[in-house]
Amino acid sequence: MKLSVKRTRSLAAVLAAAMLLALTACGSQNDGQGPSESTVSSVAEQDGGSQSAAEDSADDAAEQDGGQEETDSTSVTVTDMVGREITLDEPATRVVALTPSDCEILYAIGAGDTLVGRGTYCDYPAEVSDVPAVDSGSETNIEQILALKPQVLLMSTMSQTEEQAKQLEEAGVHVVISDAQDIEGVYTAIEMIGALMGKDQEAADVVGSMRSSFAEIEEKSAGDGSKTVYFEVSPLEYGLWAAGSNTFMDEVANMMGLTNCFADLDGWASVSEEQVLERNPDYIVTITMYYGEGPLPEEEIMARPGWENVTAVKNKAILNLQNNELSRPAPRLAEGAKMLFDFVYGSE
Amino acid sequence: MKTRKERFRALEYLFFSALTVAVFCLCVCIGSVNIPLGKTLSVFRDALSSIIQRCLFRSSAAFPEGTDVSILLTVRLPRVLCVAITGAALSLVGAAMQGLLKNPLADGSTLGVSSGAALGAVVAIAFGITFPALPFAGTMVMAILFAFLSLLIILGLTARLDRSLSTNTIILIGVIYSMFVSSLMSIVITFAADRVQHITFWTMGSLQGKGYPDAAILFGALLVFGGVILFHQRELNAFAVGEENARHIGVNVRRVKLTLLIAVSGLVGVCVSVGGSIGFVGLVTPHMLRMLTGPNHRRLLPASLFGGACFLMLADLVARILLNPRELNIGIVTSLTGAVVFVCIFYRTRRGK
Repeated sequence: MKLSVKRTRSLAAVLAAAMLLALTACGSQNDGQGPSESTVSSVAEQDGGSQSAAEDSADDAAEQDGGQEETDSTSVTVTDMVGREITLDEPATRVVALTPSDCEILYAIGAGDTLVGRGTYCDYPAEVSDVPAVDSGSETNIEQILALKPQVLLMSTMSQTEEQAKQLEEAGVHVVISDAQDIEGVYTAIEMIGALMGKDQEAADVVGSMRSSFAEIEEKSAGDGSKTVYFEVSPLEYGLWAAGSNTFMDEVANMMGLTNCFADLDGWASVSEEQVLERNPDYIVTITMYYGEGPLPEEEIMARPGWENVTAVKNKAILNLQNNELSRPAPRLAEGAKMLFDFVYGSE
Repeated sequence: MKTRKERFRALEYLFFSALTVAVFCLCVCIGSVNIPLGKTLSVFRDALSSIIQRCLFRSSAAFPEGTDVSILLTVRLPRVLCVAITGAALSLVGAAMQGLLKNPLADGSTLGVSSGAALGAVVAIAFGITFPALPFAGTMVMAILFAFLSLLIILGLTARLDRSLSTNTIILIGVIYSMFVSSLMSIVITFAADRVQHITFWTMGSLQGKGYPDAAILFGALLVFGGVILFHQRELNAFAVGEENARHIGVNVRRVKLTLLIAVSGLVGVCVSVGGSIGFVGLVTPHMLRMLTGPNHRRLLPASLFGGACFLMLADLVARILLNPRELNIGIVTSLTGAVVFVCIFYRTRRGK
């Protein structure tokens, strides 16, 4: 299974680059949304319709389902991250998650056993590879998903098209969309998925632990923004890409008093090699995968001709985050931040 | 005496060389990071004097150091060199193919030769094909091999349909072949998706991060394969009039054709294996230059060398500085400008008729 893990990572990196770009482009869409509330309501049956439908149909729903108890507290209503309201009779037990981060969240809140299908690029935690894989993105195969008979399909805004979502809804699958663009958004996604799975407490715990580890990092960090860090998301061989502002990496760097040296760019962007040398970062973080052949990503950077004058290369201050710790909107962001903190300020 | 006139005259050589050198200097002086001209000149002066002192007097003269030096000497200069040589090579290939096939639309990219070469490189990477003697040459050898095979397939298919190898048939087959290759590429990607980042690189084309060794390889290829092409200027002229005509004046059509095809595939293969497939250079520059030099290959081929180098260097300059500090893909710039320029030329020549 080693091969598939590898391939998913590099694919995920490429996809994530595309997604981040596209997400930042339509970022305003989510503005002012705030955290989605999850409510336990008495509306027993209502397919994920629009918000207005939800408002005026409480009575209708009660009428339709006259036979059922009105105090049924097992039904779950969540508002997903593009503002659609989804109601389930009971917390979901059969879920397909197409986005790696949603898979990670499911496992983190202890709902990994509900996963009946996963997107091809989901690779964490390791046991997710035992779950049947379905194609995602432009290759999404609706039949493949329906065959798994999920109650809920978790996906992100960019991985699927609206038509595909509609098709799935018509086939009776509740489509829930996650769309985290910053750490606060990740909390929202975790709480939303927690509510969906009836694991509110577990979700709250995960969010709480993330919050406290970020708070600890922020408190302990002595940086005053004078040190710069360069996040390399694609190595020189395939054209340099750096993480700019509005990325998780940027957010984490700011948290610990580091300045992202490409903060003037938005999202992930291809950058010129000259600019990296000119901006002379104090630290380099690369998320390049290591395929088990050739030099390690850190070594490759240190061996680049002309880079010997870069402070980070001189001080060998290069960190390789191999496993998407800082590129996915998932609970592991806290781990990634801790790794970066230890790297910059030394572990105690 | 008659042949003298047909040749590239000394004055023209001088003009084109001067133009190329000027563009080269411009491209080295301007870049993503703004380094003042004075500083640039002093870096080059110091570096040169240090090299000369080391070579001649075996003294350990200090080589200049600093960020500017790194940027100029290890990042920008080798890249511009690679771009210039690639441009010259692709443009020479385009001119030669247009003459050989009597086809104004022939070019490595329109005929699918560069996509074929890219497929070769991708296959080499995906399946880890290397040669024990030359561990790094795996992609290159495969690229050359696939470029040659592609050319044979395209020409073979065309010949079966249409003995005269007419323009339309050849382009049609080329387009179909390109599509075929791109679907093969997708298949390889599904089998080796862990290398997808490497694979997309070959289809996009970029000369970022290229160093002196790459420049040396490109230069060597240009010297060998380009030399072969330049050596066949007369035969190309004969081909341009017609294969029959070539045969009548004593050209060994089969041999010359095969030699040229090998040279063309070799050059395309090396260029693609270093910089990925960069489209439109080989198509547009010979057309622009033909307006200047006329159709005679003895003038067109040398002009294409210089013109292609200038065109690609300028395209790369635009790619480097247009969205600074971001970088554009050079293939985007060449295709964008190339397509527009090509349409303009096409309209002008049509109207002229």
